[in-house]
Amino acid sequence: MSAPVRTTPISPDAVDLTTTFAGLSLPHPMMTASGCFAYGQQFAHFMDVSQLAGLSTKGISPAPRMGNPLPRICETASGMINSIGLENVGAEAFLAEKLPYLADLDVSVWVNFFGEDADAYVRCAEMLSAGAERGIDVLEMNISCPNIKKGGIEFGTVPEVAHRLTKRCVEATSLPIVVKLTPNAADVPAMAQAVHEAGAVGVSLINTITAMGIDVRTRKPRVATMYGGLSGPAVKPVALRMVHQIHTKHPDIPICGMGGIVSGEDALEFLMAGASCLQVGTANFSEPPAGLRIRDELRALMAELGISNIPEIVGCIGRHDPEPPYAPEESWT
Amino acid sequence: MPPSQFGAQLVDNQALSGGYFTLRFACDPACGAPLSGIEPGQFIMVRGEWGREMLNPRAFSVLDAQPDGSFSILIKIYGRGTAALSALRPGGLVTVTGPLGRGFSAPAGATQLLVAGGVGLPPLHLQAKRATEAGRAGGVEMFYGGRDADDLVLTEALEDWGVKVTYATEDGSRGHRGFVTVALQERLRAAKASGEAVEVLACGPTPMLRAVRTMGLAHEVRTLLCLEEEMACGFGVCLGCAVPVRGPKPYKYCCSDGPVFDAREVRWS
Repeated sequence: MSAPVRTTPISPDAVDLTTTFAGLSLPHPMMTASGCFAYGQQFAHFMDVSQLAGLSTKGISPAPRMGNPLPRICETASGMINSIGLENVGAEAFLAEKLPYLADLDVSVWVNFFGEDADAYVRCAEMLSAGAERGIDVLEMNISCPNIKKGGIEFGTVPEVAHRLTKRCVEATSLPIVVKLTPNAADVPAMAQAVHEAGAVGVSLINTITAMGIDVRTRKPRVATMYGGLSGPAVKPVALRMVHQIHTKHPDIPICGMGGIVSGEDALEFLMAGASCLQVGTANFSEPPAGLRIRDELRALMAELGISNIPEIVGCIGRHDPEPPYAPEESWT
Repeated sequence: MPPSQFGAQLVDNQALSGGYFTLRFACDPACGAPLSGIEPGQFIMVRGEWGREMLNPRAFSVLDAQPDGSFSILIKIYGRGTAALSALRPGGLVTVTGPLGRGFSAPAGATQLLVAGGVGLPPLHLQAKRATEAGRAGGVEMFYGGRDADDLVLTEALEDWGVKVTYATEDGSRGHRGFVTVALQERLRAAKASGEAVEVLACGPTPMLRAVRTMGLAHEVRTLLCLEEEMACGFGVCLGCAVPVRGPKPYKYCCSDGPVFDAREVRWS
């Protein structure tokens, strides 16, 4: 056991929430996550979207995709399973119809993308490069979606395969590439290292955890594709562990952390584990402006704990104090 | 009216027969009356202060909404969310997102045959109320089915408004014995024979909607189905509530394209 770090509370106004991620300067760490923010417009009813630090779009493929059969989602304890099937408008329609709205926002625009095979990834990166002068700041390469077939799983789980794919995409675009990692890999730090060495400026994690729900009355899976991706607070401890493992092994790799963040305290945990910016996903469904509330809670909590800036606490996790050594003795009672 | 998210407080929780409850809420006064212009069939997402284990809000059709900001929903205990709501006491707080989706249009020329099954009552109850308020109670006719007499609720209001209602129960304890669709079938045949213009608006369990759809298509009358699908957000982002449709794309979304769909469009076997 260790005692709390002794701190003196400071004024919330004295908390500096600015952060940098792979050379990007952000006013605070809170972004929204891919697949949980569509292309942004729907959220304008509920919040000033420009108050976010950034957003990641629905995953874009070279051609439009129609998505999976029903049912596509189910709720589980503190989480939900989805199998949407990477439904999206395709790169061309994205650039023409969705990007102009995003470009007008004062946020860092990350376009999540993927392909159904390696060539399609490269083609998608090339197509989206046309958005470099039109508002796209980062390409977030999704090598981790559990909901496509065609060998997609290897991109996210075999370091050599991920390295080759990342290298080809980096060479195909002028935009910085952040690789979104899957938790469904044996050695996540090795995946992070492989894509970083291939030229990715950073990594984001975690994507959803492959999962299943069963309806015992119908004897059917609760999503039509049998397995889907688990998200929400249920996955947070797994996500934290993976962020921390990468940061510990490769402190030079910038990490965008996510996985079940619903509060300022969750956000602070991810920063302490080693992330320098954060994405909010599933929480947006029940509370569209969740990212902004979490930003405010983070500020208040940092003030309470006397933390004046983000770099001070990124990856600050230490070990518990060692216990005195034990040797067998006679009973002392 | 564009959707917003607002707080609301339970004013009244009334247990009805058959395990139904009507919950009446008052909006946070700072929010005005965000639901007062709601169309029958539009819905809201409701989440109580029940922690994070039940992560997502629940979708409910609106039973009624007043200019003073109060509104009500009809619930039946089906899972943990409805159980938690049924236990809510006056003063209890919920977070509401809405109004969401597209509802039914008001009766114009054709007589609207409103087909309600079980907990699918609210959109049609509100449609009947709005028609009555517009002096067109004669422009709608209700077909309301349930398992037994206890499964039919809020019928006094329909009768007070002077709306013609045909009841059907599976055990014959009120109205026709059998499914409500049998009574609808007869009504559609009579309309066809007399050349009367009718259209069908339906909400209820999926087997009922399938039968209504088949009948509407067979009689070539405009048939609108108010559907229900599992949804996480309710405003077109999670893409969980896909509805199979005919047309250039295989799916539309229950929350943002519906929940009201033309029966011809829905791709059901």
